Formats: sequence, structure tokens, C-alpha cells
Amino acid sequence: MMLFICAMGKLLNRKKSGKEPVRISDYIEHSFSNLRKKKLRTFLTTFGVVIGIGALVSMFSFGKGVQKNVTDSFKKMGLFNYIAVYPSSGRSRGEQANMDPDDPQNQIQYEQVSDSANSPILDDNFLQEIREIKGVESAFAEIRFPAQIRFNEKEQFSLVSVIPADVCRSELMKLRAGKAYEGDDENSLIINDSLLRRMDIKDFEAVIGEQIEVSTLAMDPNLLNPMKLMSIMQGENLPFNQESYTFTIAGVAERMGMGGFIPVRSDVYMPPGPAEDMKKISLTNIKDFFQPAEKLKGYSAITIKVSSVKYIDSIKKQMKDRGLGTFALIDQLKEIKTAFMFMDMFLLAVAMIGITVASLGIINTMVMSILERYREIGIMKAVGASENDVKKIFFFESGVIGFLGGIFGLALGWVVSTVINQIANHFLVKQGAPYTDYFSFPWWLCLGAVGFSILVSLGAGLYPAVRAARVDPVVALRHD
Amino acid sequence: MNSDGFLETKGLTKVYSLGKINVVALEDVNLSVEEGKFLGVTGPSGSGKSTLMNLLGGLDTPSSGSIKVEGKFISELDKEELSLYRRYQVGMIFQTFNIISSYTALENVAFPLLFAGVSKRERHHRAGEMLEKVGLINRKDHRPAELSGGEQQRVAIARALVNKPKILLADEPTGNLDTSTSRQIVQTLAELNKNQGLTIIMISHELSMLAEFADDVIHLCDGKVVEQEKIR
Repeated sequence: MMLFICAMGKLLNRKKSGKEPVRISDYIEHSFSNLRKKKLRTFLTTFGVVIGIGALVSMFSFGKGVQKNVTDSFKKMGLFNYIAVYPSSGRSRGEQANMDPDDPQNQIQYEQVSDSANSPILDDNFLQEIREIKGVESAFAEIRFPAQIRFNEKEQFSLVSVIPADVCRSELMKLRAGKAYEGDDENSLIINDSLLRRMDIKDFEAVIGEQIEVSTLAMDPNLLNPMKLMSIMQGENLPFNQESYTFTIAGVAERMGMGGFIPVRSDVYMPPGPAEDMKKISLTNIKDFFQPAEKLKGYSAITIKVSSVKYIDSIKKQMKDRGLGTFALIDQLKEIKTAFMFMDMFLLAVAMIGITVASLGIINTMVMSILERYREIGIMKAVGASENDVKKIFFFESGVIGFLGGIFGLALGWVVSTVINQIANHFLVKQGAPYTDYFSFPWWLCLGAVGFSILVSLGAGLYPAVRAARVDPVVALRHD
Repeated sequence: MNSDGFLETKGLTKVYSLGKINVVALEDVNLSVEEGKFLGVTGPSGSGKSTLMNLLGGLDTPSSGSIKVEGKFISELDKEELSLYRRYQVGMIFQTFNIISSYTALENVAFPLLFAGVSKRERHHRAGEMLEKVGLINRKDHRPAELSGGEQQRVAIARALVNKPKILLADEPTGNLDTSTSRQIVQTLAELNKNQGLTIIMISHELSMLAEFADDVIHLCDGKVVEQEKIR
């Protein structure tokens, strides 16, 4: 690249011996004029560049569009303001409560997880403690449990999340109908549109205010009778108690399409008040299935919402100092950016194939042009053109092809992207997805595409320009 | 002709290498042309006339010997300096006219001014003036294919003189023209020589024309000056 820039610099800045140099505007005008004289060939060569740049622009704008959508939606939802706190080393709540550090059998394991062994139990007291830390806007426990949802004589097995009312009212929850529950003790819930669709319900407004039944399962150790083991293994007399609860549907939420750490990622959301009174089993660890509900101390995780991202590091440090594990999406931003960079590189590599072919087209056209204008080059030199002047004439012609290719390539890329965006949205909106711009055209992409096109074309024109400059005028003037 | 002059050559020699064979195109040519003179060059095909023109015009460089124009050794100039010499000090016309077929008469005449950094408006103005001088202003927007041979050569003369050189080198300018047109062209050159003091070196096979218009005539044969004739 440096070699190329040096060559360009040498070519454009070569010292003139005294007299007025040819004006850049004259070179450009002369180039346009020459290219106009070979319309078809100029069109075909430029069209090659247009295709290459069009592909480059479409692919890059798609890459940038995806990045913009992801980062914008994360920012809009305030996801960078959340920290997940969980017991370190992946130990369950049962282990947190029951591990005896003095037990020799636990000694090795205890040393390995010494931090977490001293870590606090993630219970309501700890939650309250967190809420008092500077920068913490709110904190809530992650409580998720499986339940059978019955509505309109249809049943669906689903995950229920316990989410405080204030989080439900935040940007994290995108409601398609109704509203978030008002308080943490309200006997109502929010249901995802996807769950309703699975129940063949498409009119989301109609379900607001309707009653819905949530049935939970809780392990009953008393039913784990060795006498019944055979029937349990055959799937009969399972050691579970089923409890049913009735709620009012307050709102219908849009399903979150993204994976990773999102506090709101279940099919049903309910406030902490009624959830506390429900008998349920945890999904944190398989061992928890075999713990009586009252033995399960603490929550599997706590989600902290900070008032500003500047508090993230200090709060994370405080949690780590207490032997807890943390996860913040903002930490993943670097990884996300690296992943996007790889995506950009891949798209660039694909687009470069088109650009390379277009460059070969330019070289071919310019070499052909030299052969056709061999005598003309001789005339140029006879009337006083220097080697540098001849070089620049051909060089500028390549540049003009690149400029035209860049402008029309950008236009083609924009048109193709717009058409694809409309078609994609036509189908995706029908399936319930919101209208999204999948392509992004930042100003630097537009300028960069035209600049890159000119640069590539100048690069392709370098060899023909040098070759034209070396033409012997005596031979050229005799050429037929 | 061997005294110190406006244009001088000393021991001018040009040898071309064709593989392992060396062909001597010009050998030990000594010339001296005073400013404002009309020198005729004649000789059979392959005698080195065009080679001499190319060397004097700065299109080619000698194998040995020197060329001095206005006290400056042209034979010692580098490529960049030679292009400036061709641009400002010497104009050339050819048997085959060598005007660009895709350009109009005006564009052809204006072409050398492009390399002199002259603005487009000024280029067209000066080219128009030159076309007026050679009597072709009414044909300025015509392309070469729409012009007769004589008109094309006039366009070439106008182009050669647009940068106001002091020397005009004419390499058989009448070779492709009929007798009447040839005479008109040479007459035009002679007028430029007389009225503007333009130094002209012209190759021609038409000895009668050279006898009529040239001041001096040299005869070349096998790359050597075999005869020098002072007409007037």
C-alpha cells in the first residue's frame, strides 16, 4: 500500500522544469472527452467497476446495518446498563447453603472455590444490600420456573420469569398490546406474542384482561418412596405436586429475538408478589430438583440495573471481591465488535473478487487504448508532451472510469439494498417482526466507496500509464 | 553553412542496432543554419533525412555528435527538457499530417497548448487565430476526415506554430499532396519564413520547389551530406 501511495505521489508531483504545468481540470476534461469518444468500451469497463463497487457497497451496508441494529437496540433497551451476578464456580444454591468447609470430603472442593464458599447467599437481604450501592438503580432476582399455561382451552408448556414491575415498564419490554403490570403485588402477567401464536391466537388486543391459568410443578420428596421406584421409572406416580393459579393478562410482549444475556427472555412474565406464594421448582441446577422448596436458599442470579455504565466496573469489582461471578453485556461489546470485524472482512473479501475483475477490465481497456492511440501518443510527444504528461493523461482516464464506477456503483448498491430491504421486510413484517432497516449507508461508506473505486482504478491504470509514457515517438509516428 | 549559426550540428551520427547488426542512419553530419533561413533537405529513400529531422526535433537522441540550438546543446538534454524544447522551440509537420482523427481542426491546433498549461478559453482563442492565418477558420469544427489533404496539412502547420516556435521542421510535407496543393503549402511556409522570420528545415523530393523557395539545400546519401547548395 505504501509503495502504491509513493508511486502515486511520484507520478503526480514530479517536478516540472520551469514552465506552467498542465492543469488538473484540463486532465480531467481531456479524460472525459477521450472516454466519450469510445462510449461502448467506456460503458462496459465502467459497468464492471459499477458491479464491483455495487456489490461492495451492498455487502458493507448490510454489515453496518446489522451492527447498527444490534448496538442501537442494545443501547435503546439499556442492556449495557445491566450486570448479572451469580454464585461463582457454578455451584447451586443448595451447595451454597449446605457446604461445610470443615468436612474433609469437601476440603479440596472448598479450596478450589474458596472465594465462592465465603460469598453471600443471593437472597432478599443481599438484594437489599445491593440496592443501596451507589450507582445501582434497581436490582432483582432471576427467578424462572417451568409452568403449564392454559388459555382458551389450549395448553402450552413454558418458562415463567419473575420480573419487577419497574423493569416491565422499561425499554426492555416491548409491548404489542395492553400494558405492563402496575405493581409488584398485582395478580396479573405479561405473555409473549409467540406463545399466543403457538396457541393460534392472533388478536393480541382481545386477550387483554382475560383470565389465564398457570400450573406449576413442585418436587415432593415424600413421594420419593423406594416402594414406588419402579412405577416412577415407568413414568407413573411422579414425585411432583401440581398447583394451579389464575392471573389476568395485562399485556402482550414482543418476543426478544436475540440470544445472550437478556434479563427479559421468557414467554410469561409475572410480578414478584404472587410468584413468591407459588410452589415451583427451580431450573438452575438439576440437583435442585431433588431439594425441597424450603431448602433452596437464595436465588440463582441477580440482575442489577445501573444508572450509568460508568458504575459497571466498580460494582463488578465489589461483587467479585465478595466471591461472586458477574456478567455485563458491555464487556462483550469488544467481542461483538471483533465478530463484526470478521464479518466485514468476509464481506470485503467477497466484494474484492468483483473489484479485482473490474480492475482487470480497466487494465485491459487502457492497454487496448494505448494500442489504438499509439500514433496519438507519438503526436502528443511531438507537440511537447513529456513522459509524465502522457502518463497522467492515461492515469486520469483510469481515475475517471473509477470515479464514474464509484458514483454509479454506489447508486446501484443503494438501489439493490433498498429493494432487498423492502422484500425482506415484506415477508418478515408479515411474520410479526418489526420493520427494520437491514442496510445502513453511513456517509463514510458512500465517500469511501467512491474513493476506493478511484484508488483501485488508478492502481489498475498505473501499468498502462507507464507503458504509454514509454512509447517511442519516432516509432509511434510511423505507426499505421 | 559551417560557421556558427542559430542551429548547428557537429559530427552528428545516429546508429540503430538491429539485433547484432548496427545500421548507420546518419554519419558525421555538420550543419549550420542561420536564424530565419529556409533549408531544404533532399536525398533518396533511406538516406537519413527523417532521422536528421527526428534528431533536430528532439524526438530522438544522437549516438554521437552534438546539436546546438540558440547556443544550447539539445543533444545533452534529458527527456523532460527535450519535451520542453519540442513544446516551445520547434514545431514539426509530417508527410502523413499526423493530426488526431477524433479531434476537430480547432482541437488539433489547440492540443500543444494543453501541455503548456494554457487555459481552455485561451487555447481555443489562440488556435482560432492560427487557423485564421492558414485560412481555415471556417473549417475549425470539422474533423480531419472532412478536410482535404491540403487542409489537413494546414491544420498541422497551424498546430506546429501555435506555441510560437522559432524553428519549423517539415518532413516531406507535400509528399501526400498533388502538385498544386503542394505548391500552396510550400508557399505558405515560405511566407511564414519571410514574414515572421521562422527558420524552416524542409525535406522534399521536389527540387524545383526547393530551388524556388529555399535559401540553402543539402543532399543526403547513405546518412552523409554529399552536397551543399546555396541557392540565394
